[in-house]
Amino acid sequence: MLAKSVIEDVLTAALQTGGDFAEVFAEDRFANTLLLRENKVEGSLSGRDFGIGIRVFKGFQSAYAYTTDGSKEGLLKAAYQAAAGIKGERNVTASPLVQEKIVSAHSIAAFPREVEKQRKADVMRKAYEIAKNYHSSIQQVGIRYLDEEQHVLIANSEGKFVEDKRVRSRLSIQSIASDGNQMQSGYYGPGAHQGFEFMESLDLNHYASEASRIAVTMLGADPCPSGKFPVIIDNEFGGVIFHEACGHGLEATSVAKGNSVFADQIGEKVASDVVTYIDDGTLANEWGSLAIDDEGEAARKNVLIENGILKGYLIDKLNGRRMGMPSTGSGRRQSYRFAPTSRMTNTYIANGKSTPAEIIANTEHGIYAKYMGGGQVNTTTGDYNFAVMEAYAVKDGKIGKPLRGATLIGNGPETLKLVDMVGNNLAHGAGMCGSLSGSLPVNVGQPMIRVSEMTVGGRKGEE
Amino acid sequence: MRIEDFQERVFQLGKQLGFTDMEIYTEKVESLGCKLYKGEIDSYQTSETLGVSFRGKMDGKMGYAYTENTDEDSVQYLVKEAKVNSLLIEEDVQEEIFKGSEQYGDHTFYSEELNDVSIEEKIEFLKEIEKEVYAFDERVTGTNTLSLSSSEKEKRLVNSNGLELKDRTNHIGLSVSVIVKQGKEVKNGVFSRVTRNYHSLAAKNVAEHAVKEALSKLNAESADSKNYSVILRNKAAAALLQTFSPIFSAEQIQKGQSLLKGRLGQKVAAEHVHIVDDPFYGDGVRSGNFDSEGYATRKKDVIKDGNLLTFLHNSITAKKDNVESTGNAYKASYKGTITVAPSNFYIIPAEKDLPDLVAQVGDGILVTSFSGLHSGTNTVSGDFSIAAGGFLIENGEIKTALKQMTVAGNFFDLLQQIEEVGSDLEFSLAFGSPSLLIKELAVTIE
Repeated sequence: MLAKSVIEDVLTAALQTGGDFAEVFAEDRFANTLLLRENKVEGSLSGRDFGIGIRVFKGFQSAYAYTTDGSKEGLLKAAYQAAAGIKGERNVTASPLVQEKIVSAHSIAAFPREVEKQRKADVMRKAYEIAKNYHSSIQQVGIRYLDEEQHVLIANSEGKFVEDKRVRSRLSIQSIASDGNQMQSGYYGPGAHQGFEFMESLDLNHYASEASRIAVTMLGADPCPSGKFPVIIDNEFGGVIFHEACGHGLEATSVAKGNSVFADQIGEKVASDVVTYIDDGTLANEWGSLAIDDEGEAARKNVLIENGILKGYLIDKLNGRRMGMPSTGSGRRQSYRFAPTSRMTNTYIANGKSTPAEIIANTEHGIYAKYMGGGQVNTTTGDYNFAVMEAYAVKDGKIGKPLRGATLIGNGPETLKLVDMVGNNLAHGAGMCGSLSGSLPVNVGQPMIRVSEMTVGGRKGEE
Repeated sequence: MRIEDFQERVFQLGKQLGFTDMEIYTEKVESLGCKLYKGEIDSYQTSETLGVSFRGKMDGKMGYAYTENTDEDSVQYLVKEAKVNSLLIEEDVQEEIFKGSEQYGDHTFYSEELNDVSIEEKIEFLKEIEKEVYAFDERVTGTNTLSLSSSEKEKRLVNSNGLELKDRTNHIGLSVSVIVKQGKEVKNGVFSRVTRNYHSLAAKNVAEHAVKEALSKLNAESADSKNYSVILRNKAAAALLQTFSPIFSAEQIQKGQSLLKGRLGQKVAAEHVHIVDDPFYGDGVRSGNFDSEGYATRKKDVIKDGNLLTFLHNSITAKKDNVESTGNAYKASYKGTITVAPSNFYIIPAEKDLPDLVAQVGDGILVTSFSGLHSGTNTVSGDFSIAAGGFLIENGEIKTALKQMTVAGNFFDLLQQIEEVGSDLEFSLAFGSPSLLIKELAVTIE
């Protein structure tokens, strides 16, 4: 993408005002989005994102400049602009760049740019047919197809020079059901760090039917009661609760300055014994997987909580300096427009010993959250909230009537201690996570779990 | 290559490949931002970017593509991809490349004064805020964010039908989040504003606002979960309005995804509710003299005296409904396709200030912030169940901070249940509202 000699000049320029570390991140990304509604392709958009981000550190200080001008002059100008954010005299020289070869665990069979768009549209049509024909109350189905090839180059003043190509594909299905009075929607959005082979092997029957089934089920649902209940959260995307309740609080972004509720807690008991929480960017071809992070560090498996004890954080280079801890391969960014910071990849609760049937049978009166919507957390206080897409009442150990409009709120550290059962059916779900360094593909995952008490908000009022 | 040359090459190649009408839209953005932490600039960021989007018509279909690279490869990429994309489109109603409106507003949304503020001055300003933050109360233990960023955007729309439009805007954004601690209780308070009027920001006021908010959240208590009269404080009300603003878009109506369908001219809100869309709002972040299709923008009443007067249209939705475009064609950036969105969209303020509303409500809840608006709301049904922060009101006075709560209701019902509109209009980006007194909402408190 850029010549080695040019990068060396840029790194040298970036260090001229006393920086002790400089980094170049270059990106060339080709993305396609297709939208199908009422069985017609309604939108098709292609784009090429191209730009370079230059970062300089001096101690805990950082300066960042980015540009879409890839000429040598453009890059040097950006390097000077970044350097202007640091005050001092040159005292570090950039090491000669040594190309690093990476072996990616995420092999790609069919690069999206080589696949005809009609074939992509055909996948969407198939999914549409399945979702639309699921039930007579399905009024509308929208299918969104997304693929991208992101070529990145990362070089720094310590001699690192590494390139990677990341390929991602995702299909989202949204079904809307109506009974004439009200409308309800259901959604499923599987994705992978894979090419078109992902679409060809995708179980469309399952995903498209589920999206419609959720919408239809919610049409017949009662408004959710509010109050405090035991809550059973099913596997896969259910893991979004821990993503919000503790994942963000374990990112160095909030830990480094001591602002997270989990700061200075390594070795302490932060969750109940049944909780083991892991972030693993190496899982083959998963949506949140990476070969290297956006600082050029190899992705790895990081155990964050083991049997309730806090073991580690997710750390990027800059925050690592403040914490006196090395990077954990967690430096990520949406694009060259963002300086990287610590972020999650594929984060999940490890399997426990209970079977899902046992968990439900053991619950006298509570709420079963089958599919989750999104959520949000305040990492300073640990307060989180998220929406439940498909919920049910649980009574006398049995799943009862469907409920709609349930929102779960709570405090991350408190909820972690209230997890009292963990199932053995671990699965992962794809999502997008928004934070300081932009919007990123991440997986959330877990087996079925039960929280002994959560606050449930709904329209019906207290039971 | 130079953007003028790039544009010429694209139109040339486009014609060769069979495009009849073509448009190039470019955005050039320069930005500068910095963050302060304990007296030091710990992060500094600058950028210069150019993005180009191409739209072209072929056999009555519109193809789109964009690029951030202006080399010869990108000329080929842009035009060829747009062609492939246009061939895929199966939608009936076609977009047009517009010849231009007869007249455009000549408002200015660029502040020379803002342009003159030096980086040193900005850093000093942040340092002053930090000093005031720590001086205000000893329970302040730190800051999450203390940042200033300014940016300048130049938009240019040129098409093969002879239209050429240009616009330049700038603004500055201030974001402050402070942390207070009392015993084991930790709370944060924020101040954020985007403006062109740099001198409207005063360090002491900013610090006081953020710290007071954080302190007010201490000693949070629980209260009964039930239906309450609720005051939505201005920014919380604006955030809710923003979340549900798609219900006013003709695009959503035509897709059958808004319950306002067929309700033009009808009473959809309480009598005293008046909502406007104002592209000329002086300090608005979405102000402009033309929209993303090149149509002249204009100010309009969307709801007046509770009656729904218009939907928001671009030329595509207008054609379907056989009306005029309202100048609300919108592209999130050059990366997007044409859709419909408000410009600066707000509820016109009335007489009473917040203390008046609190006195009027007697017993109820004051909601000061919402969280998780992207997940706890359904714009199709209007249902919402959202996490919120706020206070208990008893005997016409703010009594105590409340633990985290959820507030549930339906936006279409809420519009009808606005009992009082306050006087304290405040914007959250392009959306604004004064505080609103709502007759009843279901509240669950932790």
